[in-house]
Amino acid sequence: MTRPVLRGIGLTHRYGATTVLCDAEIAVHPGEVVAVTGPSGSGKSTLLHCLAGILVPTEGQVWLGADRIEGWSESRRTALRGARLGFVFQSGHLLPELPAVENVALPLMLGGVRRVEAVRRAAEWFAPLGLDGLQERRPGQLSGGQEQRVAIARALVTEPEVVFADEPTGALDTGTGHRLMDLLAALVARTGAGLVVVTHDAEVAARCHRTVALRDGRTASGVRS
Amino acid sequence: MRLGLRLLRTGGRRAWTAVGLVGAAVAVGTMLLAVALGAVHGWDEREARTGWRDGDPRAVGTPAAGVRVDHDVVGGRPVQVVDLVDPRPGAAPPPGFDRMPAPGQVWVSPELAGLIATTPADELAARFPAPPAGVIGEAGLRAPGELVAVAGRAGPVEDAAPVGDFATTTSGTLELYRQLTYVAVTLMVFPVLSLLGASARLTAARRTERLATLRLLGASTAQVTAVAVTETTAVAAAAALVGVAAEWLLAPALAGIPLAGSGWFAGDLRPAPVVVIGIVLGVALLATAAALGGMREVVVGPLGVVRRQRPGAARLVRLLAVVAGVTVFVVANRTRGAAGTITGLVFGIGILALFATVLLLGPLVVRIVGRGLVRSARSPARLLAGRRLLDDPRGAFRPLAGLTLAVFVAGFLAPLTATVGGSTGADDVTLRVRPGGAEPAAVAAAARERLDALGIAAQVSAGRDGALVVPDPGVARDSVRTALAPVAQGTAVVTARESEVVAIGLATDLVTGATVVLVATFLVAATSAGTSAAGRVLDQRRTLRHLVLAGTPVAVLDAARRAETVRPLVVNGAIALVLGLLCASPFATAATALAPTALLVLGGVLVVGVVLVLAASSASRPLLRSVTAGGSRED
Repeated sequence: MTRPVLRGIGLTHRYGATTVLCDAEIAVHPGEVVAVTGPSGSGKSTLLHCLAGILVPTEGQVWLGADRIEGWSESRRTALRGARLGFVFQSGHLLPELPAVENVALPLMLGGVRRVEAVRRAAEWFAPLGLDGLQERRPGQLSGGQEQRVAIARALVTEPEVVFADEPTGALDTGTGHRLMDLLAALVARTGAGLVVVTHDAEVAARCHRTVALRDGRTASGVRS
Repeated sequence: MRLGLRLLRTGGRRAWTAVGLVGAAVAVGTMLLAVALGAVHGWDEREARTGWRDGDPRAVGTPAAGVRVDHDVVGGRPVQVVDLVDPRPGAAPPPGFDRMPAPGQVWVSPELAGLIATTPADELAARFPAPPAGVIGEAGLRAPGELVAVAGRAGPVEDAAPVGDFATTTSGTLELYRQLTYVAVTLMVFPVLSLLGASARLTAARRTERLATLRLLGASTAQVTAVAVTETTAVAAAAALVGVAAEWLLAPALAGIPLAGSGWFAGDLRPAPVVVIGIVLGVALLATAAALGGMREVVVGPLGVVRRQRPGAARLVRLLAVVAGVTVFVVANRTRGAAGTITGLVFGIGILALFATVLLLGPLVVRIVGRGLVRSARSPARLLAGRRLLDDPRGAFRPLAGLTLAVFVAGFLAPLTATVGGSTGADDVTLRVRPGGAEPAAVAAAARERLDALGIAAQVSAGRDGALVVPDPGVARDSVRTALAPVAQGTAVVTARESEVVAIGLATDLVTGATVVLVATFLVAATSAGTSAAGRVLDQRRTLRHLVLAGTPVAVLDAARRAETVRPLVVNGAIALVLGLLCASPFATAATALAPTALLVLGGVLVVGVVLVLAASSASRPLLRSVTAGGSRED
């Protein structure tokens, strides 16, 4: 077994007197797709935010590869998210003013890649995602599924170590959602990144390698599918 | 409609922030509108109180009296001295008088009565033929602190003009001020209206999301529109009331700004109730129209799907409108001379045409700047800024419109202030004694004799039309004036500069007026820039938050916001400046436009204005940090 690319150890997070995450454990290996499931309010989003360095857990450790990141400064964690992590949200959250290809190129440019090079590398992701010919379209001219695939390209273009997907199929119909999940899993497997999918949807969870179920902030199980 | 108000009430903290932004912008705009209309009301009231002694009196029917107006000085403050010659028995007295002053009687304002009581008699009281017989009431004064004396005299008195009725409207200096106020109102109204329109469109996205939910629940387009419009109209009407109330509270401070020789009664600067109702209704209607216009930009389908329409592009056809605008100005300016009494109106149309030109050209300039930025962008911030400008040039210009118009106003007023603001260079040392009709040598001899008798040291000589008196150092000028009052026979003993009080006053007043207009337009511009920037952050908060979650530094977003403000502002400002100078060209030569005073005024105003607007725009930074903080699903 390879070393985990992402580990959360004994993660606890409190908002005032309310404990939303309690001693949660998770490990994600390269190329592995892990679903985080649970009812509303079970702490799924808080776990994702702690793992991604968006929130600092009240207790516990977060390891990205060999780096323990929960103690890093806000700006350092922001830079880390831009360079080493990828994100896919429920709806694409693309910038409406930018053509699709520039939306994808943006993370590269933020990382210091020259614009011409960033756009060239971004354009390479369009064919594998079935988006050929849509590079110059604005988000408003794309369907929900197309928009979400552009968001996937944006998440993967920097070749991150871990991709976090928060309800990535929540805004799509079932068929489109399942195709999108398969595509995401295949691309992650190709790049060797780990993928953490937060979902309500049992069918989406079933398409993942493993499930971490959360109940009242505690990780209940880890099942290899 | 009730649902719209309920949604407004229960919208939560973010909704209230948005409402606060719209409300603040509308309140400031309304307040300035009320200030402008209050100024017009002020001139009307002043005319009703003192028009008979401030204008060019004209007899209509049988004259009620002859009037001669002179300007004296005491303690460096101007005193208006009015001779009421041979009042007709039975004629109604002037406003503020309970009876007509009889020959030999002097009526004074309360402030002058106080001065007479506290100043040594040989410096003031002895100038008048008798102690005050009465005190002029408020109804006959321009302002509480006005210094004025009205003396009844038996005729004939040289230069006395017959007045038909003291309540009759007169024209003259007051009319000139009124016309100038109309020009000032015109200069302010456009930026204020543009602010009101822009603020009603603020936070369109927030409304759109809620409207989409309503549409999903089966609400018809008309119902959805009613909900949206109710919210904006209610907020705008409430904010308009706040704006009018603010002007009401501000009136005492505004009353301290002297124009045409004195300050004001605070009450005169408050618009009439009918006008107030008109302002509130007008603002609410304008907000409704702007909200309806804003709704056209989004289409909410029956399934609640919000599709962002491609915003209207700024087409090159606007250039034709620009040509038309400049043509209208040139034609209006050429026909101005032949327009007679409607000169101000004709020139106003010319100014409005150039205003419209600035507004039409703005989005086109934004588009061109945006294209340039996109082509040359190497950094994400500049790419974002360029794309935003190119994507919605009209929306991007909206927050800049206020400052662009303010720069136009500055370009128009700065050379004018330099033209009229210069010193007259008149002598301010030699007092002139000109009783009229007397031999200068005889007047000089009488003056010398009088001063010697009272032991007042001064150099006296005969001038062209009277005596010239230079008080020795250490001699109070007011003592000399008072001592020479009998020699001057009722005319004021003043220096050449003091006698030009009206002309000098007009020049100073123009500078004061220009400053007030500039301060107001820049206030509008700053409010407009601040609220628009904040509104944009609120509208795009989800996308911005997710960008930051995904690792985009807030500094990059902030730099993009700065770039999309500064660059088009600089180009638009330059164009507006040129058009403003063009507007001033009929009154000011190129030499005055480039005079140090003009450049100083212009430069100072521009620097302060731009810094103010950038600061207001930067005020959205904490809001940006606040909305980008927190998790991906919070809202």
